[in-house]
Amino acid sequence: MSEPILKVEDLRTYFYSYAKEAFIRSVDGVSFSIKKGEVLGIVGESGCGKSITAQSVMGLVTDGPGIISGSILLTYNGKTINLLEGLSDYVSVKTRRKAILEIAKDVTGWLKRSEILMRGVRGKVISMIFQNPKSALNPFIPVGEQIAESIMLHSGISAKKEAIGAAAKWLERVQIDSPSMRLYDYPFGLSGGMCQRVMIAMALSAEPALLIADEPTTGLDVTIQTKIIELLKQLKEELNLTILLITHDMSVIMQLADRIAVMYGGRIVEYGLKREIMDSDSFIRHPYTIALLNSLPTVEEIKMKERLRAIKGDVPDTIILYRGCRFYERCDLKNERVKKRCKESEPEMIEIGTGHYMRCWLAEE
Amino acid sequence: MDLIASPKSLISSPIFNYMKFIAIKRELGLDRGIAVQYLSWLNNLIHGNFGSSFRTGRPVFSELIKVGVNTLILTIGSLIVTLLIAVPIAIVSSLRRRPFLSWGLTLFAYVLSALPVFWLGYLAIYIFTKKFNLFPFLSAGAVSGSKLNWLYFLLPIIVLGIGNGSISEIIRHLRAQLERVLSEDYIKAAKAKGASIWRHSFKEGILIPVTTMVAAKTPFILGGAVVVEQVFNWPGMGRLAWQAALDRDYPVIMGITIFAAIVVHLGRLSQTIVFAFVNPQISEKGEDA
Repeated sequence: MSEPILKVEDLRTYFYSYAKEAFIRSVDGVSFSIKKGEVLGIVGESGCGKSITAQSVMGLVTDGPGIISGSILLTYNGKTINLLEGLSDYVSVKTRRKAILEIAKDVTGWLKRSEILMRGVRGKVISMIFQNPKSALNPFIPVGEQIAESIMLHSGISAKKEAIGAAAKWLERVQIDSPSMRLYDYPFGLSGGMCQRVMIAMALSAEPALLIADEPTTGLDVTIQTKIIELLKQLKEELNLTILLITHDMSVIMQLADRIAVMYGGRIVEYGLKREIMDSDSFIRHPYTIALLNSLPTVEEIKMKERLRAIKGDVPDTIILYRGCRFYERCDLKNERVKKRCKESEPEMIEIGTGHYMRCWLAEE
Repeated sequence: MDLIASPKSLISSPIFNYMKFIAIKRELGLDRGIAVQYLSWLNNLIHGNFGSSFRTGRPVFSELIKVGVNTLILTIGSLIVTLLIAVPIAIVSSLRRRPFLSWGLTLFAYVLSALPVFWLGYLAIYIFTKKFNLFPFLSAGAVSGSKLNWLYFLLPIIVLGIGNGSISEIIRHLRAQLERVLSEDYIKAAKAKGASIWRHSFKEGILIPVTTMVAAKTPFILGGAVVVEQVFNWPGMGRLAWQAALDRDYPVIMGITIFAAIVVHLGRLSQTIVFAFVNPQISEKGEDA
C-alpha cells in the first residue's frame, strides 16, 4: 500500500487541572498511522483518551490550559504537513501562585497560525462524524442547508440551489427515503439514525481524504447501529474511504476495522492488523484486549444466561504518574514471574509479529 | 366622592368662584361617582377616545402621538446605544481568550450601568454647555442652524443608553447564553466541518438572548426616558407625563399609562415573533429559551 495519509507520532494531550494542580494525561504518547483506503479502529473503555486523540487531530482541543505535543503528519495532494508544526512543547498554564511552564512563548501566535491551517483542513481534508448525532446537528437550520453549507465551503459550488441539489444526492447516497423532502426538515423532526445519516452525508459531501468517526453508533438503537455500520461499510467500498474509527464497541470494530489500536489509560497497548489481533486464538494478545474480548458474550453464553464478564476495577486515573504498567491493577494474567517487573517499570511497545505491537512484559517472554 | 387631589384645587385656587367651580366640575364629568367615571373612561377607550387634557383641552390621543414619536426615537436610539456597548463586551468575555481585557471591559460596563441617569444627564449638560460651550441650554431641535445640533440631539440618546441600567444585565445574560451555546455539540461539529461558529451560534447564542433582554428591559428604558426627557427638555412622553402629574391632568396620565403598557407588550410580542421565526420547534423549546 501507499504512503500513510495520516501519521501520528508521540501525540500527547494533557489538560491542566487547577483543582488538583496537576496534569490530566488524557493522551500520553500515542503513535499510529492510517493508509489510504484503510479503516483504523481505536478501541478502549470510556475515558481512555480515544475521543481526545481524534479531537487533537482535528485541532479541536485548543481551548483551556494544557499541553499538546508530538507530530501529526497529514499527506494530501502529495504534500505532507505537520499539523502541530512549530509546537515542540506547547504549554499555557498559569497557577495562582506562580507562573509555571510557559515553555512556548508564542502560544497565541501559534494558535492563530494553527487555526488558519486547520481551516483549510477541517471538513475538506479531514471530516468528522460525532456521537449523539441529534445534538451534533444545528437545531435551527434545515438539514439540507447544513449539508449544502459544507458543499459550498469545500467543493467550489457557490450557487446555493446547486449545492442543495448536491445535498439531495448525498442524502440519497446515505439511503434516506425521499431525500428532496427531507432536505427541509429540521433535526428535531428526524430520528437519531436519520440524523447520523445526515451527519455522514455532510461529512462525506466535501469528499475528504480522511473520515474520523467518533463513536458513530453511540446513542443509537441497536438495530439502527447495525444499519449505520452497514452503511459505513458500503460507502467505504464505494468511495474507497479512509476512516479513523473510534469506539468502545468491540463488535463495531470487528465489522469495520482493518487495523486496530487498543487504547488504555491514554496509551496504545496493542496495535496491529485485525486478523492478527482478533481472528486467531493462537496469537498472543495483550491482557487488556483479552479482557475486552471476553467481556463480549457469545450466543451460547446468552442462551445459558451466564453473567457478563466485566473487567474488574475502573479505568486508571490519568493524573497519577505510573511507574509500572497502567493495566497492572486489573490484569488477570500477571504471574509471579513478571509481577515485580510489571509493577516497577512500564513495558515498551514490542513487535511480536509483522506490524503487530504490544505493550506487555509477557510478550517479551 | 372626590379624588384626593382633584383638579378642583388647581382650577379654583386664587379667586374662588363656587358657581364656576360647580359648572367646570359638571363639564368635566367629575360630579359622577368614581366607578361611573372609570366605566365611562373605559367605554371611551374602547372607542378609541382617550379623552381630553384638563389643561389644554386638546384630545389626549393626538397629543400622545405627537410626543410618542419623540419618545420612540429616544428609547430606540438609546436601546441601540446600550446594545452597541453590551453585545461586544459579552462576546469578548464569552470567548475567554483575554481574561484581563474582558474583566476590564465588564467592570467598566458595570460602573457605567450603576451611574444614575439624572446625574449622568446633568453631568453631560454641564460638560458640553458650560465647559466646552458647544451649544446653549435649550430643548432638542431648538438650536437649528447650529452645526452641533446633531450632537445635542444625540446627547440624551447616549445618556439614556448608558444610564438605563440594563447594560450589565444584558452582558450577564448574553455571556451566559453564548458560553452555553458555544460549548454545544453542534458548534463543535460546525467547527469540524470548517464552518464559521458565529454563523451557527448566532440564532441561539445572540439573537434569542438579545431579544429576550430587549423585551424585558423596555419598561426600564421607558422609565429612564421620563427622567432624561425632563433633564434635557426633550419634548417626549416622559416630559408630558411629568407635566401631567404636576398638573393633576388625569386623562393624560391614564393615556400615557395605557400607551406605555401597549409599548411594553409590543416588545413582548416582537420577542415571541422572533422566537417563532428563529426556532422551528417553538412549542417545545421556546419556553426555556
